[in-house]
Amino acid sequence: MASRGKSLIGKVPLVILQLAIAFLVLAPFFWMLSVSLKPANEPFAIPARLWPDNPTLENYILAFRPEFRRYFLNSIIVSGATVLITVPLALLAAYSLTRYQFRILSVFLAAVILAQFFPAGAMIIPIYKMVKAANLLDTYASLIIAYITVTLPVAIWMLRGFLTRVPKTLEEAAAIDGARPLRAFFDIVIPLARPGIVATTVFVLIVTWQEFLFALSFTSTKEMRTLPVGMNDYIGQYGIRYGELMASSVMVSLPVIVIFFFLQRQFVSGLTAGAVKG
Amino acid sequence: MASVTLKSVSKRWGSVTAVDDVSLDIADGEFMVLLGPSGCGKTTTMRMVAGLDDPSEGDILIGDRVVNDLAPGDRDLAMVFQNYGLYPHMTVAENIGYPLKVARVGKAERTERVRAAAARVELEAYLERKPQALSGGQRQRVALARAIVRTPRLFLMDEPLSNLDAKLRVSMRAQLKHLQHELATTTIYVTHDQVEAMTLADRVAVMSKGKLQQVGAPLDIYNRPANVFVAGFLGNPSMNLIAAQAEGGRLIHAAFSLPADTVRPGKVFVGQRPEDMKVTEPEKGDFRGEVFSAELLGDAALITVRLNGDLVAVKAPKDVRARMGDVVGVSFDPAMLHLFDGQSGERLADRNGEAGKVTPFPQARGERHP
Ligand SMILES: Nc1ncnc2c1ncn2[C@@H]1O[C@H](COP(=O)(O)OP(=O)(O)OP(=O)(O)O)[C@@H](O)[C@H]1O
Ligand SMILES: [Mg+2]
Repeated sequence: MASRGKSLIGKVPLVILQLAIAFLVLAPFFWMLSVSLKPANEPFAIPARLWPDNPTLENYILAFRPEFRRYFLNSIIVSGATVLITVPLALLAAYSLTRYQFRILSVFLAAVILAQFFPAGAMIIPIYKMVKAANLLDTYASLIIAYITVTLPVAIWMLRGFLTRVPKTLEEAAAIDGARPLRAFFDIVIPLARPGIVATTVFVLIVTWQEFLFALSFTSTKEMRTLPVGMNDYIGQYGIRYGELMASSVMVSLPVIVIFFFLQRQFVSGLTAGAVKG
Repeated sequence: MASVTLKSVSKRWGSVTAVDDVSLDIADGEFMVLLGPSGCGKTTTMRMVAGLDDPSEGDILIGDRVVNDLAPGDRDLAMVFQNYGLYPHMTVAENIGYPLKVARVGKAERTERVRAAAARVELEAYLERKPQALSGGQRQRVALARAIVRTPRLFLMDEPLSNLDAKLRVSMRAQLKHLQHELATTTIYVTHDQVEAMTLADRVAVMSKGKLQQVGAPLDIYNRPANVFVAGFLGNPSMNLIAAQAEGGRLIHAAFSLPADTVRPGKVFVGQRPEDMKVTEPEKGDFRGEVFSAELLGDAALITVRLNGDLVAVKAPKDVRARMGDVVGVSFDPAMLHLFDGQSGERLADRNGEAGKVTPFPQARGERHP
């Protein structure tokens, strides 16, 4: 009993630390939700209320304007297209990098990671010039191309890590069993790399969903604007409409949270356990 | 069904030579066992036959077709991998059925054949499990079932029984032998267990350091090992090999001298298996020595006797009384001597003049085991 009591006491600092971290992470979300539900006059009421007395959805109704819907659609198109292009491309690149050993490939791999050393801010002007020269300003294509450029290297590296853990023996076994390389890739490699593919997809999705700088620079009309840029609408010259801003923030965050919730069980590691001896 | 031919096949990785100029003919329907110590190139040889590795030199033929450029899937063979190679995301049944699925065998037939293959390896109770939830021996049997679910022209099995317990190994061995006989499918089987080699093989190919040492029926190899490596590797306890000098029709050693009429003068190794030697009264043997150890084996006793710097093992009846430190005599059986060249280690011509390495080939099916 004594030792048990001691270990419980030993856990107290850890629990306190965990609670503190949870508080730091969750407090802004809570505040966002709380403000979004307050009537227009309440956000700055003194004393401040943690939770509105009369929660209302009026901010949501106001925020869900046609423009907002347009931004939402734009974000979905741009993020979706980026994911659909980046992830398969990265998968093929990473697979060939793990399975075929040529010296030139390791140079390529190093170059891929080198590209990541340049911050987006440093690349934006040359990319802007290229986009302009290609007559792509204010198009979906400009953003999709830029986002692929930014996410592809990281996606390749992420997937490479997962693919190296798929034992080569399994593809050899499939080859013996009569499967062509492409068939083995779909039947064996992809299912085993699924946690990695899911993780990479989520990564690309989040990066593009929240991207601001490129979206601001390349789009000029409301028709092409994505959510992070569009939310500036609430920050006006004469004040910030906090209620609507927070309501739209909730709506922007919701898809990400939902996707995470459903995919978290897909991040199962150890899926290859038991494949080969040892 | 098909014969397999290796023509001067070598495999090198940089400076490592895993397989060195191996030539081997395997007859249609034959059960060929590759036997050798760890790292001698057995797996590499098998992988080249399978098409997973390309030979650095030489040709591999299945039937009368050179298959060097044929993908594994086009060679019509099944393989049991040394490390299993099971698909972790599939159940046991899906694993076993995968080759059939790739070959577009219908669902009903597939289920039936999977069940039959699983029954052969006593795995019916585990069909819905994932490999992760199986023991090493069970996984190995899944790998075996995945091979025998098909009827390919050629089976390749890389130590398929190594992880089974003794009892299961004996029963699986019998199963395999029976199955191979029934299907008459050419089989190449890798092992470093000589009992497995002896019991399963039509012929055994002994390898060492990438080189083929001897090919022949198990008994031929046991009775007439081609060199000192094979002599020492086969048999348990292994053959005694004593360095001596051939001179004037005799084998001269500091402690004994034996008649040997046909041997050219020079250094030789005198080989004799422990079961061919006898423990005698101290003054009656070919030489005498102190007992180094005496172990009861059950049906016999293994007496190890000091002979100058060497130790000589003798298998004696279990009622022979010899204790450590006793001095005993040891006698050779002159009819069962194996003589090897002192330099090359190659077998020297036997009394009747034949060289030791020749083994008749190929034996027609049916007359192998009278
Ligand atoms: N991919 C490789 N690259 C370099 N050397 C290799 C490679 N594969 C095998 N070897 C070497 O080739 C030799 C033969 O290996 P192999 O796997 O054929 O041995 P084995 O007879 O099957 O041994 P075991 O009984 O331990 O399985 C070994 O020395 C091994 O280190
Ligand atoms: Mg091996």
